[in-house]
Amino acid sequence: MSQPVTTNPFIIMLINMTVVFLVLIALGLVINLIHYVDPTKPKAKKEEAPAPAPAPAPVVKAAPEPVKEEGLTPEVVAVIAAAVASLGYGPGAVKAIRPIERNGWKQSGRTMGMDRSV
Amino acid sequence: MELFNAFIVSLQSVWTGSGFSAFTMGHAIMIAVGLVLLYMAFVKEFEPLLLGPIAFGCILANFPGTGFLEEPGLMQAIHYGIANEIFPPLIFLGIGAMTDFGPLLARPSVLLLGAAAQIGVFVALVGAMLLGFNVQEAGAIGIIGGADGPTAIYLSIQMAPHLLGAIAVAAYSYMSLVPLIQPPIMKLLTSQKEREVQMDQLRPVTKFERVMFPIVATILISLLLPPIAALLGMLMLGNLFRESGVTDRLSDTAQNSLCNIVTIFLATGTGMTMSAESFLVPQTLLIICLGLVAFAAGTAGGVLFGKIMCRLSGWKINPLIGSAGVSAVPMAARVSQMVGMKAKPGNYLLMHAMGPNVAGVIGTAVAAGTMLAMLK
Repeated sequence: MSQPVTTNPFIIMLINMTVVFLVLIALGLVINLIHYVDPTKPKAKKEEAPAPAPAPAPVVKAAPEPVKEEGLTPEVVAVIAAAVASLGYGPGAVKAIRPIERNGWKQSGRTMGMDRSV
Repeated sequence: MELFNAFIVSLQSVWTGSGFSAFTMGHAIMIAVGLVLLYMAFVKEFEPLLLGPIAFGCILANFPGTGFLEEPGLMQAIHYGIANEIFPPLIFLGIGAMTDFGPLLARPSVLLLGAAAQIGVFVALVGAMLLGFNVQEAGAIGIIGGADGPTAIYLSIQMAPHLLGAIAVAAYSYMSLVPLIQPPIMKLLTSQKEREVQMDQLRPVTKFERVMFPIVATILISLLLPPIAALLGMLMLGNLFRESGVTDRLSDTAQNSLCNIVTIFLATGTGMTMSAESFLVPQTLLIICLGLVAFAAGTAGGVLFGKIMCRLSGWKINPLIGSAGVSAVPMAARVSQMVGMKAKPGNYLLMHAMGPNVAGVIGTAVAAGTMLAMLK
């Protein structure tokens, strides 16, 4: 084992924290550089905006009728209503059912929110 | 009579060769410590995957006369893997394969939180030196604050191998106690308004970025800090397996079978360093206390830097994600999420906290590399 450069704990702290910050800042610059030169990144939104969308207007039904969104059968609606009731919510009409945004991280967060062990 | 004498002599030789003849109070205490750790692992479920084998290794290490480390065999092979820094980089391979670097790549500014949380490492280092540990021992003790078991073991083996057992147990025990240690500090240092800050959705990260980052980061860090090239290199290789899209089998092996096998060896071998002679010393108690100081200081450092970033970003960064900078993947990020959700239900911080969490892993490895370069 060779001789340490210094044995002053405060100097060690100062030098090491400086190095850690500099290395991580350098990594941040590398990440930005990779993003900058990325040939596969989506083009600017300006080009996407004028594209005429086929207007998939979300079917919003205010009427208290069973929702007739695609894939939602009356059986599915019944199961969802039963699940809501089993969590302690009072009886009431289901006004609308819409699929939540598919985001793995948010879903993970929701799952954790229900998991009391963490 | 001759038969009786032969019987007595045989009994004596059996007794002399047994563990009971050399069994001391120290061994008994360490076996009791092992049993307590087993209870914490399997009944209280504190990091059972790690603490379980560590505890069992501790019990095994305190049977006299086994000759585990003197004679060739499985135990010596496991010890070889630890003493020659083979297992920690393999664990990092698995961690890399399991970890999504996306949140970090989408918001690289959170790297600063991972750096700020390393203050715990050096607060403990200063404390250890003031308490009389030499500079190498203090560096190894300080790394407990990085909340990163493999890095703590990696550094301890090189700088203070005689303290490996105490340091590993402190590191893994506190990592399992992150949900208890961090929240009070996080709440103490932040206001309700700060805890309620809702962060913007992260931008999507392309496959090109995900593949390029581990390659470029390996080149940069390995050139800068060669002592941690094995550790960081394996972390990035594991991540490359995950992100390349063409090495699913390797990624699967790295994050499941291989990681599990190495975990068994590493944890059992670490437990086997906890012999009564090396563990039952006053320094162990000091190391346990310094580990707690390191964790608390690291958490505080991350949260305080998070507050600064919150102000500078115009209240776009929730300071709670700063605490995730202490590594402990993914537990520390989960704690940020839970504290954030308690302050404002529906405020999902998990994804945002994974950025500093990954940065903390890299930051701890960089801190270890710098200390190896300076102090070894």
